[in-house]
Amino acid sequence: MPILTKRLNKTPLGLYIHVPFCRSKCQYCDFYSLACKDDRLMDGYLDAVCAHIKEAGALAPGYKVDTIYFGGGTPSFYGADGIATILSTIRRNFDVDVNAEITLECNPDSVTDRMLGRLKAEGVNRISLGIQTDDDELLKKLGRPHTYAQAVSAYQRIRKAGFKNVSVDLMYGLPGQTLRTWTETLDHVLRLLPEHISCYGLKVEEGTPLYTYKDDANLPDDDLQADMYLAAVDLLRSRGYRHYEISNFARKGLYSRHNMKYWTGGEYLGFGPSASSDFAGKRFILSRDLQSYISGIRDGGEVMEDVQEIPLRERAGEYLMLRLRTYYGIAPDEYERKFLLPFDPLREVLAKYRALGYVGINDDGRWNLTAKGYLISNTILSELLIAQDNSLPLNRFC
Amino acid sequence: MTDLSKIRNFSIIAHIDHGKSTLADRLLEECNAIDQRIRAEQMLDSMELEKERGITIKATAATLTYTADDGETYALNLIDTPGHVDFNYEVSRSLAACEGAILVVDASQGVEAQTLANTYLAIDAGLEVLPVINKIDLPSARPAEVKAEVEDIIGIPAEESPEISAKNGINIHSVLEMIVKDVPAPQGDREAPLQALIFDSQYDSYRGVIVYTRIKQGTVRPGQDIKMMATGATYKVVEVGTMSPNGLIARDALGAGEVGYITASIKTVADTQVGDTITTIENPASEPLPGYRPVQPMVFSGVYPADGSKYQDLREALEKLQLNDASMSFELESSIALGFGFRCGFLGLLHMEIIQERLEREYNLDLITTAPNVVYRITKTNGETMYVYTPLDYPDPMEIELAEEPFAKVNLIAPQEYVGNIMELAQQRRGEFKDMVYLDANRVEIHYEMPLNEIIYDFFDALKSRTRGYGSLDYELIGYRPSKLVKLDILLNGDIVDALSFILFADNAYPRARKICEKLKDNIPRAQFEIPVQAAIGGKIIARETIKALRKDVLAKCYGGDITRKKKLLEKQKEGKKRMRTFGTVAVPSEAFMAVLKLDEN
Repeated sequence: MPILTKRLNKTPLGLYIHVPFCRSKCQYCDFYSLACKDDRLMDGYLDAVCAHIKEAGALAPGYKVDTIYFGGGTPSFYGADGIATILSTIRRNFDVDVNAEITLECNPDSVTDRMLGRLKAEGVNRISLGIQTDDDELLKKLGRPHTYAQAVSAYQRIRKAGFKNVSVDLMYGLPGQTLRTWTETLDHVLRLLPEHISCYGLKVEEGTPLYTYKDDANLPDDDLQADMYLAAVDLLRSRGYRHYEISNFARKGLYSRHNMKYWTGGEYLGFGPSASSDFAGKRFILSRDLQSYISGIRDGGEVMEDVQEIPLRERAGEYLMLRLRTYYGIAPDEYERKFLLPFDPLREVLAKYRALGYVGINDDGRWNLTAKGYLISNTILSELLIAQDNSLPLNRFC
Repeated sequence: MTDLSKIRNFSIIAHIDHGKSTLADRLLEECNAIDQRIRAEQMLDSMELEKERGITIKATAATLTYTADDGETYALNLIDTPGHVDFNYEVSRSLAACEGAILVVDASQGVEAQTLANTYLAIDAGLEVLPVINKIDLPSARPAEVKAEVEDIIGIPAEESPEISAKNGINIHSVLEMIVKDVPAPQGDREAPLQALIFDSQYDSYRGVIVYTRIKQGTVRPGQDIKMMATGATYKVVEVGTMSPNGLIARDALGAGEVGYITASIKTVADTQVGDTITTIENPASEPLPGYRPVQPMVFSGVYPADGSKYQDLREALEKLQLNDASMSFELESSIALGFGFRCGFLGLLHMEIIQERLEREYNLDLITTAPNVVYRITKTNGETMYVYTPLDYPDPMEIELAEEPFAKVNLIAPQEYVGNIMELAQQRRGEFKDMVYLDANRVEIHYEMPLNEIIYDFFDALKSRTRGYGSLDYELIGYRPSKLVKLDILLNGDIVDALSFILFADNAYPRARKICEKLKDNIPRAQFEIPVQAAIGGKIIARETIKALRKDVLAKCYGGDITRKKKLLEKQKEGKKRMRTFGTVAVPSEAFMAVLKLDEN
């Protein structure tokens, strides 16, 4: 059965499509997106992305696409027609698995029944809805163009349209938020029974409007943010969600397969301005400007920035940095086999933190971080990386 | 040997930034002394650091051959002097090798404290001081006023002074003509017993020490047996010659009036002290040239490798640096907190910073430097007198009969509107006002007597910030005076970190202790537990801060697959961690040791 064998051997691949359009810019957002509905620009974007997909598809015959993710920006604001065109272009140019996970990010203000029906028909099977908070005043303050009631109604439409895998995004550490209002928000949202919840701590990024008035924004301090995080972890676990990544919680088996690729060293290709890729041993980011992305694709110019070939030694660092974001963590034999580096120096650091309750061992016997450990993961990671830097390769071939 | 009447020995003196090195370069160029292939900006400042900081650290010299308007060819010996108050003695010895000095004054800045200090040194040395007004092409230039200033303040004629731009090569020729015309030719008897003034020396791994010298009397030739009159070291001369910016040029002999070098297979610069006199063993001079003073470090600090295992590397690096810099001293020191290191002595804070930077750059060492201190004099109850070079040696207060600290005479010059600010600053630093002189309608010179300790910290920075950069400073030691001193200890998580201890004036202890605790709190990263930071005198806690436990240190955003950013952040954090020393359970970054010094609020 040579044909079957060949098919089985294909490497899994994730596709990320960055849709850089929003109704308005949120105060805290530093993702690349434009707050406009300029038809010419939107069409130019569509042509460029589709051309880019064609180009890339030809270079990836050995791959099978098993996840597709439309992020942004606000893909729902861009509209179902454009998404459908991109999806069919992908299907024509890539080998897409029949069971592929296809996610689309939506904002409550741009969800319509017609659109949802169209997306469902095109094969989208997972929706990620940006709710952020149930506090209307706060939503307004953050520049989000919707109310909580709109969010609930959008969620119900998504359900009515037949989507069985829905994720909601929430944020903590917001201006004026308290531990009580945050846990209330979680309580309200849990009543919707989403399959997946992401809880992101607000990070004030330079260059955002929020950054200019951060000192007057009444932002919760680090200690309160830590308490909010731990409260969320406790509550969501008690409601049967698995805490499978620092900021992500899912019903059994319903974790984000696409995002998981980022944390487990899977390959992914990005399309659209500012999208990242890790493909064929190289990491790169596409131009962070729509116009130059469009003209670059059209004229065959350069759209890739910061192309890096990652040596094995650096991959070993990434393995720690990324895997330890997840419940699945790291395993000695896997680590030594993959990178030919000794695990013992790492074990020393891990054991030290384990005694303090920051590090645990999961059901599969792999090392991972506890909730408390995730909170100081940079501290632990930098120590692990130093231990790794100081270790000599295993000389098992000499 | 060049005829005495055809030699001119001169140096250039100036305030930092007034264009001394640039003028030197132009003079070399004008005489075609620089080989075009190896030309770089500011030839005479050959150390990388000197170029970066725009100051001259070591004196160097060069002989220029110049054919003047009178048709005669002259040997012009330019001796470049160090340009910082830390190196005053070296300046005075360089000046003693000359008959004249070109005083470079910035046409917009006018006369400053350092200009004055160096000019007085030159005048005291009996030099002909010839002002040159530089940066004449700047829009803010006010040459007429500045000339009047030079005449009023310094009291030397400036009417005819050349107005030049060293940067743009304007009027350089007139400077050369002035040197030929107005710098007196040297005098001396080439048959007399040898008296050669050492004004600098430099270690070369092939030839040994190269001694830079001005022959005052007699003649020196290869093969002669010579003796350094102060250190008593004896050697046989291997080579003599003159310096050009392109290298050394060997000669048969150097005679009175000439400036050049001597090599004699000398192993260490400690034998060739600046200011010492070289004579011959066969026909020795009856007495040395006046003005010699052994170098004396004034500021001491502990220098430790950030990585304790690099102790040997640090020793070797210090030994190599000392080959070239006899003014730095070092001695083994061990601290409970930092392990093995060295107590190093420096001429001043700039000198200290330069040595540190050279150790880090040229020898690739990561260092932890403890707070610098001056040398205290303690008379114990048992009558014994001791000098305290490190807080580690400070005796128990019960054993102290009398504590004394070194004082300095400080000259400050600034526009009069800053007098109030300066007086406030000087008072905070325990300055005792002496007098104030109006230099002109606008500027004043203020004299204080002040503990050296108060000057070495951030006094110069504080002065600059309180005078918008217009204030300038010069100081000289005047001896020890009784003082109320205490040793302040710092405790992290309950344990004394001895490397953070220091000695200070008792009345300053409380406010300083509070500030130091605050600084440490800001500079020590939070750990997984709470860390008390305390300051204590003799076991009594006088200040306390608490570093809260680390609860959150995470970059949650790692979505859309942009991993590079997180990697960079972690990389930075990792490097920071590598630079920390762990005391008990507390990790302290090396910057924290220096940060506690910069306590000025402005």
